[in-house]
Amino acid sequence: MRIIVCAKHVVDSTEIRWDDEHDEVVLRNLPTKISDYDRNALEAAVVLKESEPSVDLDVVMIGGEAALKTLKEAVAMGADRGHLVEGGWDDPFDPLRSARVLAKAIDQLEEPDLVMCGLVSEDGYNGVTGAALAQLLDVPYLAPVVGLKVDEGSLEAVLDVGSALRTVKVAMPCVVAVDSAMNVPRLPTVLQVMKVKGDRVAKMSLDSLSLSADAAELAHAGELVGSESGAVERRRVLIEEAPDEAAARLVEYLRQEGVL
Amino acid sequence: MMAGRFVVSSASVTDLQRMAELARRLAGADGRVDAVALAGDAGVLAPEDGTLADTAGGLAGLADTLLVYEGAGEYLRGDMWAAALVDAVGRDGECVLVADAPAAREAVARTAVSCRASVASMCEDLQRAEGGGFVARRSIYGGVADGLIALVSTPAVCLFAAGKFEGAPSGESVPVEQRTLGAPAYEVTHVGDEPVVRTVDLAGASVVVSVGRGFVKREDLDLVDPLVSALGAELGCSRPIAEDFKWLPKERLVGLTGESVTAELYLALGISGQVQHLTGVKGARVVAAVNNDAKAPITRNADYVVVGDLYKVVPELVNALRSRS
Ligand SMILES: Cc1cc2nc3c(=O)[nH]c(=O)nc-3n(C[C@H](O)[C@H](O)[C@H](O)COP(=O)(O)OP(=O)(O)OC[C@H]3O[C@@H](n4cnc5c(N)ncnc54)[C@H](O)[C@@H]3O)c2cc1C
Repeated sequence: MRIIVCAKHVVDSTEIRWDDEHDEVVLRNLPTKISDYDRNALEAAVVLKESEPSVDLDVVMIGGEAALKTLKEAVAMGADRGHLVEGGWDDPFDPLRSARVLAKAIDQLEEPDLVMCGLVSEDGYNGVTGAALAQLLDVPYLAPVVGLKVDEGSLEAVLDVGSALRTVKVAMPCVVAVDSAMNVPRLPTVLQVMKVKGDRVAKMSLDSLSLSADAAELAHAGELVGSESGAVERRRVLIEEAPDEAAARLVEYLRQEGVL
Repeated sequence: MMAGRFVVSSASVTDLQRMAELARRLAGADGRVDAVALAGDAGVLAPEDGTLADTAGGLAGLADTLLVYEGAGEYLRGDMWAAALVDAVGRDGECVLVADAPAAREAVARTAVSCRASVASMCEDLQRAEGGGFVARRSIYGGVADGLIALVSTPAVCLFAAGKFEGAPSGESVPVEQRTLGAPAYEVTHVGDEPVVRTVDLAGASVVVSVGRGFVKREDLDLVDPLVSALGAELGCSRPIAEDFKWLPKERLVGLTGESVTAELYLALGISGQVQHLTGVKGARVVAAVNNDAKAPITRNADYVVVGDLYKVVPELVNALRSRS
């Protein structure tokens, strides 16, 4: 069986700040990583491979040179090889572009039985890319997946649809989007990442996918054109007294606010 | 104002009304608003919480027609939903508005690909852009900022955060037009459902007390029980408590991956106040916190912060509340 996991190279979203002085989101010089939920997808794929060693597992990632390190981390979790699509910044506000690039990249590789990704990316939080990819590949899409079983060409998945845990079965190929509740992803050691040699990571250019950056197909379908701070102004009253006095003071404030 | 045709759809009636109201405003007097419903083997699947007559009545003055797609199957599926939306958009649909729900993201994504549309998720508002197209407002980067997303290609497909409808329908029920969906493009066998019973309504609670990693052991959460009952609060938590330690069920999680509260009072105990948590607290009127770190981000994002050890402050809070009454 062949599995392809689509993993996204992102800046660590817990480090992103709003810069009041320049009125902008600061993304420069931040640590980068594999997007959270994609790590759950990778973990789920590696678990399948561990139970069935004949599974062939590829990782596909979009990004520039800086994404190579992230791709190696993903491969080090237990994949056979990684493919870096040199498509520049994987714009969080244009998930259709990501899906189109990923679909073309997957077309170039040996046909997968199962394509996996995270439920959402931690930078865009759209939850669109995986389903758009399923539409482009013309296969079923299952999400949010919290359980998976593979059996002779068919896939049984448990979906968390809010009101129920729903078990469904589909014939492969299909795309599944994994929820964070599915598992706890392993962290590859520095040594494991170093051991991922150049021959296990290949690069693909947009040209080789017959997509060039300005092709009509990649024209912006969504673009961030402005932003303002998302913080809510609060009173910021600090109460620094002994516990009993502080507690009484807080209760007093809350009473004045009329919320008690 | 330009006239256009809008398509709206949702898993709940109030979200459908909300989408229709917004579409009505953008479509203008000469524009059209078509609401899409799906019906399957066991009745109406979307919106799932009302009969077709309720829905048609609820859309009075907001939409022009209710298009009911029969043949949607056993439960609401994203691919079938998308098939209905694509049909409803037709050649001249300008914009599609869908409120978030399970299956909604698949419906939106497939529709956007099929219609060569532009797409935005997590939308909170939508405006026409000067020179054509639309601009959606949404929270970005986990709540760090509010962003404007330009949707250039038509139709624009927008997925809205789920919410409440404040207005009221007026006039007569909209006419209902029946249509039939073809066979599903993909065969999905439904093996079975295990119902998940939801016991908490965090989003609707008027007081929420939330616990975070400042609590060292699971048993220590007992400390907040008397506080929760003294305040008549619902108990919430940060992500590590629900997802990493699994001390509380996920329905109590507040934040980006959990619930958004609208409480009068939100009290955060031992929670640092990262944006991914705070984004779920934006709708709270008063935010208070107990944290032993005067530099924790929560201190800049709360109204009142007791700087101190929650193990000592929480019992004193209970005392202070009791002696007050
Ligand atoms: C994609 C993504 C989505 C996320 N979604 C969510 C989400 O929906 N909700 C969410 O909550 N998080 C979410 N997070 C995680 C978020 O970034 C933070 O890691 C998390 O909120 C931290 O939880 P915490 O405040 O409980 O823990 P910590 O950050 O560890 O904070 C614990 C706090 O307790 C204080 N403390 C310790 N001991 C005491 C004591 N004795 N008395 C008083 N105070 C004490 C400390 O000073 C500290 O400020 C998400 C992250 C990512 C990447």
